[in-house]
Amino acid sequence: MEILEFKDLKCIPDIVHSYTPALRNNSVPIVIDNGSYQCRAGWATSPEPLLLFKNLIAKPRKERSKKDTVEAIQTPQLQVGNDIVNIEAVRFQLKTQFDRDVVTHFEAQEHLFDYTFSHLGIDTDNSIPHPIVLTEALLNPNSSRQLMSELLFECYSVPGISYGIDCLFSYHFNEVKPQKNALIVNVSYHTCHVVPILEGKIVFENARRLNTGGFHVISFLHRILQLKYPAHATSITLSRAEELLHGICEVALDYREELARWTDPGYYEEHIKKIQLPYSVSLASSALTLEQQKERKRELARRLIEINARKREERLVEDEEKLNQLLYIQEMVEADVDKDEIEKACAEYQIKHLQDLQKQINTLNAKIEKTKQKILASNNSEEVEEPPNKQPKHNKIVFESEKAMHIFLQNAKKMRQEILSKKMTRKQRKQDMAKRRTAAGQERMRIISQLARKEKGNDDFGLRDEDWDIYKAISKDGGDSDSEAENEKLLELDEIIRTHEPSDLDETTNPGETHQLHVGIERYRAPELLFKPYMLGSAEAGLSEVIGYVFSLFNTEDQLKLAENVVVMGGLANLPGLQQRLLSDLISIRPFQSVVNVRIVSNPSLGGWFGAKKWARSSELKENLLTREMYDECGPEYFKIHVASNPFYPTPKGQEIDIDVS
Amino acid sequence: MNPEDVRSEPKLVFKTASLNPNSKTIVKKRAWKSLKQIISTEKALPWPDNVVHYSSINAPPSFKPAEKFSDLSGLPAPYTDPQTRLRFANKEEYATLIALPMDITAGYLALRGASSIVG
Repeated sequence: MEILEFKDLKCIPDIVHSYTPALRNNSVPIVIDNGSYQCRAGWATSPEPLLLFKNLIAKPRKERSKKDTVEAIQTPQLQVGNDIVNIEAVRFQLKTQFDRDVVTHFEAQEHLFDYTFSHLGIDTDNSIPHPIVLTEALLNPNSSRQLMSELLFECYSVPGISYGIDCLFSYHFNEVKPQKNALIVNVSYHTCHVVPILEGKIVFENARRLNTGGFHVISFLHRILQLKYPAHATSITLSRAEELLHGICEVALDYREELARWTDPGYYEEHIKKIQLPYSVSLASSALTLEQQKERKRELARRLIEINARKREERLVEDEEKLNQLLYIQEMVEADVDKDEIEKACAEYQIKHLQDLQKQINTLNAKIEKTKQKILASNNSEEVEEPPNKQPKHNKIVFESEKAMHIFLQNAKKMRQEILSKKMTRKQRKQDMAKRRTAAGQERMRIISQLARKEKGNDDFGLRDEDWDIYKAISKDGGDSDSEAENEKLLELDEIIRTHEPSDLDETTNPGETHQLHVGIERYRAPELLFKPYMLGSAEAGLSEVIGYVFSLFNTEDQLKLAENVVVMGGLANLPGLQQRLLSDLISIRPFQSVVNVRIVSNPSLGGWFGAKKWARSSELKENLLTREMYDECGPEYFKIHVASNPFYPTPKGQEIDIDVS
Repeated sequence: MNPEDVRSEPKLVFKTASLNPNSKTIVKKRAWKSLKQIISTEKALPWPDNVVHYSSINAPPSFKPAEKFSDLSGLPAPYTDPQTRLRFANKEEYATLIALPMDITAGYLALRGASSIVG
């Protein structure tokens, strides 16, 4: 089984493209496909978009500690688009101008336009002398467009703007021969659009937007993997989830069937994708130090033995000396020496009678004998002791059959598991108790408050022995803690299992294995979100259901026309299996034997830009350009409508949308 | 020379001078309306009848009953653990489920949007 690895692609900072005289003098239009995932920008004359970057800025917060110092005045460095080399490092500072698929945050948009224009190399004074072809969301609210015009005309002094919808640009201008009737299914980053086109005209009132898209799929995948591998939660990042989506995710043709296949262990083994997370080998900590620890222990034991031996010898010498003196006294007694002198000597050794003397001599003799034996014994053992030390406590029990051993082992394992789970529940309970908002914690608080409540007169607490059990219930340990006996039993069982089945408890054969993500059903589960938004708690219908709903808004004739030409585009259209899935879903909801065609456009992600480029090069652009004069004349929300644009509904007069909320 | 300067210098040129953010005269913070706010203001206006809005093309709610899938594995889940409210497909999953710490179970519920007490 091949193990995949994360590529962790880093963004490459964009170069500043050259601003050639041909571009400068001919006021070549700039084409910007401003998507919520990526911005694609380039000249109408360039063969492909020159700039491709995620519509993100990273704005570091001012550091609090430096607030008062002089240096803090200079604004922190702002990273825009592909300048953000490592997205994960600045994940919490990221900002986008988009709210869903609508531009709302124009300060960020301004930074991104700065980035775009400066990287296109424009260096003219106080203006961008090029018309802009810009994409926007389907039915973009007037206020958003108004602010966009304001930004482009006032801040960049562009000569003209043409707004269009990305999927329509893609359909009308990037298709070889666009048919008159089509149902566009645009699966993009924040939303999916189902847009019916009849006789070349978009039927806005029957278009529908599903507010689930690639972003949701990625975050869903991210979260289920994090929850599956809590230990690696930090190394499973959103960018890695995105990489997985692009790399290994697929749309299941029949989700239920796919799931049923995965329940078969053989299929699972065969189709599981293993992905290696980066890890650092720490074998030095486990293997080597274990050896070192043993060595250190042995060293310590040896030193202890030496100290003991020295002590024993000292004692031996001491005792022998004392014995000699006592014997000397005895000799004196036997030789009938002067009584005074004997008494003096006896006093020195605190001996009262002569019997005592005899007794002491005897005990000393015994003691010396004992010490001598000990020294002898320790000298012998020093040579032999080490090897037998290593032998396991539990010798292998001999079983008459393989089966008996197996049963015995199973029992041991079961017991071990029981103890472990008991410990686990206890730990869990302890954790729950410690937290305030858990059921266990609240129950504990309830009991405590009940205990604390004083009821006059009838306080009979403590009359029965059971009353005291309540303190067990509210103690943080939950009454019983891990008992010593249990721990011992666990150790013993471990030992038994290890002696009979050495490999079972010692894992860590390959340290990288614990750092592998097994992605199986998740490959299909994440993209399935498009068809089942309720998996993420959304009440909306899934993609196929929405398409069916859009069909239902037309008469049968038009339905046929639309179903004949279902065109799928948008970044997620790259997912393998999407076309087949949509086709099979549509066949199931369409009348029997009616024609259904589903196809994916040739370049799902960049089609919008190429379409817009073609539009920008056509003669139509000139007629449909919103110029500065019109902007000044007709008000900021006015724009020119064309075949790929939104409809223009002037905001009702008298109640101008209050866009300034400062 | 600081590479940052090289990059930011052409920026200064093409923008209208008075609106250049580097001139420190305008530092007024502006709160941008969220899409939700924009939609609600838009809805409040007296539009003619034929107008289609951003908010009027929202997908309809699902008319099909939501299938139940195991929170852990994604398999079809006939069972629900009454304690954690997590769904599971078989007894092996239940065994892992009861051993899960609370933050994980809460995470699964939140992911499915089932963490609210009312729902």
